Amino acid sequence: MADSALFEQRGIPAAAIITSAFTRTAHLMARQYGYPDYRYAVVPHPIGNLTPAQVRQRAQEVLPQVLALLGLAEASGSAAAGS
Amino acid sequence: MTQIDASALTVEGIRSARQAIEYCYAQGWTDGLPVVPPLPEFVDEFLAHTRRHPEEVVVRMDHLHRQCTVRQAAINAVMAGCRPEYFPVVLAALDAFHQLGTALVQSTTGQALLVVVNGPVRKQLGFNCTENIFGPGDRPNATVGRALRLVIMNALGVRPHEFDQSTHGTPAKYSCCIAENEEESPWEPLHVERGFAPETSTVTVQFIRSDLHVEHRSTQVPEEILLTIADSMSYAGGIYEAPPYNRNSGSVVVLGPEHAQIIARRGWSKQDVRQFLWEHFGKPKRELRRFGKILGLEEEPEEAFIHTAQSPEAILLVVAGAANAGVSTVCSNFAWRRATCPIEEPLPS
Repeated sequence: MADSALFEQRGIPAAAIITSAFTRTAHLMARQYGYPDYRYAVVPHPIGNLTPAQVRQRAQEVLPQVLALLGLAEASGSAAAGS
Repeated sequence: MTQIDASALTVEGIRSARQAIEYCYAQGWTDGLPVVPPLPEFVDEFLAHTRRHPEEVVVRMDHLHRQCTVRQAAINAVMAGCRPEYFPVVLAALDAFHQLGTALVQSTTGQALLVVVNGPVRKQLGFNCTENIFGPGDRPNATVGRALRLVIMNALGVRPHEFDQSTHGTPAKYSCCIAENEEESPWEPLHVERGFAPETSTVTVQFIRSDLHVEHRSTQVPEEILLTIADSMSYAGGIYEAPPYNRNSGSVVVLGPEHAQIIARRGWSKQDVRQFLWEHFGKPKRELRRFGKILGLEEEPEEAFIHTAQSPEAILLVVAGAANAGVSTVCSNFAWRRATCPIEEPLPS
C-alpha cells in the first residue's frame, strides 16, 4: 500500500491488491500517506498456500477490480474494490 | 535502592496517582499494563542522564513518517518504569534497533527485540544475569525492555490492531532484556567478541520470534548437549519454507552456565560451538519433504542436508542464567541481523 501511495504521489497510476486479512492495515497505511479514501483491490486470504493454477485463477478474478482502479474498465458489481 | 518515606505518602496523593494512570490508559499510551504518568519534571530527570540533545532523532521509521527523539525516548522510559539512570541503556538499545531497521516490528511473525546487556553497567545498575534470566522480578531488565516496546507503540505508532500485524506475537514483546553472566561464562563476553573493550558497557539487539526451553542435565559430553540444542533450533515450525529465508535464517542460543562450562572444559571455543551448531542447524531434504517445505530445493539431492543458516555467524551465543541446571534457551529468528552499541558513560554527579 505504501508503494502504491508513493507511485500515486509521483503521478503514476497504481492499483494495490490486498488480501482480506490486511484491509485494516491497508486503510491505515493509505491514511498515513494522505489518502484516507484510497480504493484498493481485495482478494480472499490466504494466498501463500495456493498452487500456481489457483494463483492464476485469483488473478483472473481480481483483474476487473485492478482495471477499474486504473480507470481502464468499470468494476463489476461482484468485484467492487474495497476502501 | 531509593528510600521511600511511606509516611510522606497521602491517601489523596495515591488516589490522584491512580487517576493519572487511568488517564494514560485512556490516551492509549500503554501496553496493557499500568505506566508511570510522564510528568515533564520526570522526563527532565531522565534527560539529565545523557549528553545528547533532547530533539536528536534516535530511531526513524520513514515509511510510516514516524521517528523517536531523545525526549520521546525519555517519556516512554518514564512510562515503562525505568529509573533515570537506566536512560543511557535505553538510548543505546534504540541506537542498535535503528541500525537493525524497524520494518520487522510490523511483521506477522510477531518479532520481539531481544536486548543483551554487557559490561560494568550490569553491576552498576543491577541487571539480572543469573536466575530466572527471561523471567520477572528485576526492574532494570523489565523496564528497559518495556521502554523499547512503548517507543515502538507510542513514538513509531506500531500498535496492536493497527500497524502491528503479528499473528500471535510473543510475551517477549512486553519486554525481553537479559544481561550476560560474564562472571560464570568460560569464554570472552559478547561485547569483547564484538570488538569492544571489557570495561565498555554495551547493548546488543536482535529480533526474535520466540524462546524455547532446552534440557540436558545428564551428560558431560559436549556433542550431546550441542546436538540437543541444534535439534531444538531446527524444529519444523521454525523453518520458513520459502527462499531465501529457508536457508538464510539465524538463531540466538542462550547457554546456561552449566552447559557452557561442560562444553568449555573439553576445550571448545565459542567459535567451535558456533561451527558445530551451524553444521547441525537444519534438516535433510527428505525430512523437509515430509513437512511440505521444499520450495526452492528442487535441484538438491534427497539426502542433502539443508542448512537453515548460511554461516556460523548467524548464530549468536550468549551465556546467561543460573549455574544450577543443564538448561539453555534457543531464540528463533526469521531474518537475523544484530547490532551492538556502546552505552554512554555516566555524567559526573
